Amino acid sequence: MSEITVFTARKIRTMNPSMPEASAVAVRDGQIIEVGTLQTMKPWLDAHPHRIDESFVDHVLMPGFIDPHLHPSLGAVLLSCHFITAMEWKLPDRTCAPVRSHEAYLARLKEIDEGIEDPAEPLITWGYHKIWHGAVDREAINAVSSTRPIFVWQRSFHEIIANDAAIDWMGLDRAELERHPQIELDSGRFFETGLSIAVKAMNLYLFEPDRFKNGLELVKKAVHYGGHTTIGEMAYPLLDDSAEWNFLGEAIERDDVPFRMQIIPRGALRGVWDGEIEDEVARVESYASRGSHRLIFGNGVKLFTDGGFFAELMQMQEPGFIDGHHGEWLMAPEMFEALARAFWNAGKRIHVHCTGDLGVELALDTLEMLQFERPRVNHRFTIEHFGVSTPEQVRRIADLGALVSANVYYVHELGEAYWQHSIGYERASQMARLGTLARHNVTTALHSDFTMAPALPLNSAWVAVNRIAESGAVIGPEERIDLDAAMRAITIDAAYVIGMEHEVGSIRAGKKADFTVLEADPWETPVENLKDIPIWGTVFEGQPFPIAK
Amino acid sequence: MNGRIPIILISGYLGAGKTTLINHLLAADHGRRIAVLVNDFGAINIDAALISDQTENTISLTNGCVCCSITDDLGTALDALTLREELPDLVVLEASGVAEPSRLARHAGNWPGFELDAIITLLDAETVQLRAVNKFVGQLVKSQIEAADLLVLTKADLVSNETCEKLAGWIETLAPGVSVIMAEAGKVAPELIVGLPARSNLSQTMKEEPHEDNFSTSHWTPPGPIRKDNLIRKLEELPSSIHRVKGFFVDADTGEAVLLQRVGSRFSFEDAPTKAEVGFVMISAGSPDELERGMKILSSIVDVSPLHGPSVVHFN
Ligand SMILES: [Zn+2]
Ligand SMILES: [Zn+2]
Repeated sequence: MSEITVFTARKIRTMNPSMPEASAVAVRDGQIIEVGTLQTMKPWLDAHPHRIDESFVDHVLMPGFIDPHLHPSLGAVLLSCHFITAMEWKLPDRTCAPVRSHEAYLARLKEIDEGIEDPAEPLITWGYHKIWHGAVDREAINAVSSTRPIFVWQRSFHEIIANDAAIDWMGLDRAELERHPQIELDSGRFFETGLSIAVKAMNLYLFEPDRFKNGLELVKKAVHYGGHTTIGEMAYPLLDDSAEWNFLGEAIERDDVPFRMQIIPRGALRGVWDGEIEDEVARVESYASRGSHRLIFGNGVKLFTDGGFFAELMQMQEPGFIDGHHGEWLMAPEMFEALARAFWNAGKRIHVHCTGDLGVELALDTLEMLQFERPRVNHRFTIEHFGVSTPEQVRRIADLGALVSANVYYVHELGEAYWQHSIGYERASQMARLGTLARHNVTTALHSDFTMAPALPLNSAWVAVNRIAESGAVIGPEERIDLDAAMRAITIDAAYVIGMEHEVGSIRAGKKADFTVLEADPWETPVENLKDIPIWGTVFEGQPFPIAK
Repeated sequence: MNGRIPIILISGYLGAGKTTLINHLLAADHGRRIAVLVNDFGAINIDAALISDQTENTISLTNGCVCCSITDDLGTALDALTLREELPDLVVLEASGVAEPSRLARHAGNWPGFELDAIITLLDAETVQLRAVNKFVGQLVKSQIEAADLLVLTKADLVSNETCEKLAGWIETLAPGVSVIMAEAGKVAPELIVGLPARSNLSQTMKEEPHEDNFSTSHWTPPGPIRKDNLIRKLEELPSSIHRVKGFFVDADTGEAVLLQRVGSRFSFEDAPTKAEVGFVMISAGSPDELERGMKILSSIVDVSPLHGPSVVHFN
């Protein structure tokens, strides 16, 4: 056995209500031995060799942050793009200062263009938003460069604007693009189904293996940078299984990586109805033997109801969308039910991607049926994302013993846009209704679904307690939660949602020695500034990992 | 002709018999190279081998991410078809049961090198009305009906005639003027689904062997050039049981040879090779009387009585 290391700190916020605060934590072999004060832990220290590490005497320790739902492989793709955003994006390798005018946008684009040596290398930038950046069209980008292919990827992934060099680079007959109802060649806009034509060209660049590997390195840094020590990959595989497993193993199962990842397999690789459901259960079970120290296959499985929230393909109950379009089911409701039943009966923890209130309704109807057929307690059926819902659904969630893992960042980024252009104020302002969940005592986690939101737990918590939308206005104040609930949602309650609450999520004897080291105490910081608390770094299984400055 | 490969989208909710219909189509002798793609879970089920050529230098995503739009298996699959040594004459795209056909049609039908020929929606006569009021799929089932150029009522043999009639009336309110074909066990005449061969000699198709399925075709050779706007007016008057019209004619305004294709209520004109033999063919699953009525409407486009009167052949 190794010697005990005692970390002392200005304050330790344990997230264990039985002893919420402490000033010292003793650690050995990656595990917490005792929490309290140097005085209360004296018997342990008298009995065993130890050393006192005072490097955190000016810091506040919290349990290592947990994001139960993000996708490293997708993050790897986005992080190889250049960010020009209206909001500040703090990334490990760069901080993207807010760019908030048309002129500033084009100036920044020009600056990036001039910074790339190879004149033929495509430039893909993400973050463009018309409200802030005005109409950026083909001609405007042509003026930045007439030779380099430039793709301007809209912030919500809905649209791509290309310059002539980019259109040529796609290698397609212009007549084929001209006849497309969702491509405007004049302005260079590719949207909706036309988008896939531009994405196809971009992917040749973005998914080039070396670039992808480099992107994964950036994701690892981003995960560390956000203060995480545990994350959940909520829908494995995203790539071809063997390729993705190799990439992840190489990138993450290394001594210098300060986090672990629970992998939650998707319950169906395909949506075909005639697919043998038993085969899917067997496939999910078969992953279990594969785990390693940092890559863990738990008891979870991921299912889907309705379409993506950013793509506005959520299934909505009446009165639906302002423009009358309809959402989508990702799998047929009957298939969802059949899969859910098979995994329910196999004792699995089921996570369901639900974005609209009709999607939530399907998940709850199904859960209710399964509870009737074969009651289970402590099943941890979890609604993932939780974009639009009704108060009555929250009550059912509570009654059925379900949990929620919410992407509350929707409120900040889409709250006002969806008020104006999608579903109106009442429902848009109540998206991710965390306040109602809290009033019904529903265990709730916050997630980023990175790259759908920044992988910054303090930022998610900041949205949850403030509900500040992109203009700076507060929307849906009744759905705010208090700081305690928000901090639980990125620590102990997030651990509960992925079934790891006995190992991580709070600071107490017997748990993994995972800490997030903060420069300020969230409880002593005005809640509007929560997201700005600097993070010194983390301690992962007893080993300090400062964030490189 | 533009050289784009036509796509026929087969839509319909679970259990409507899409696979059966496609299998029947593949087994039938229609002399065309058909490539079948199955869309599913936002993704396309295809042989990995098929796309391997394309993706050598990139990482392939199995079926993409649902929260963002970064992957597109359908486009990849269509591209892969164009790399085949022998190009297909026709793509049959089986939509997933939960696909909104109009969205999928917009996607596939505008993919470079392809164009939409028709959306055919299959309806299970036994369950469609129940599904149409289901709180989760009701809207979807209705939009599958509304998007169709052609509707196929499957398992019609399993419900009473009375039910069938009521069903037809209900469908008419959702999709006015769209033809409805009754099919037993997925057996629909391939001509109704995929139209007639692309060869320019239309009269030759009349000499083909009769089919076991209920449908009739009719052929008419116009005595002279035709004005497009006149033709359009006539097309709009045709009875709804006439599913497809295809014809080569000489445009009275330009003197050029033109190919007309009409499926359901949609039609298109394209340039045709000048050597094309003029003539129109209609395909119908309705009664021979209706087909005859259709022919009369079409041939009334010219006041001179046609050199060859309309000939109706009914295959039974
Ligand atoms: Zn999701
Ligand atoms: Zn996700």
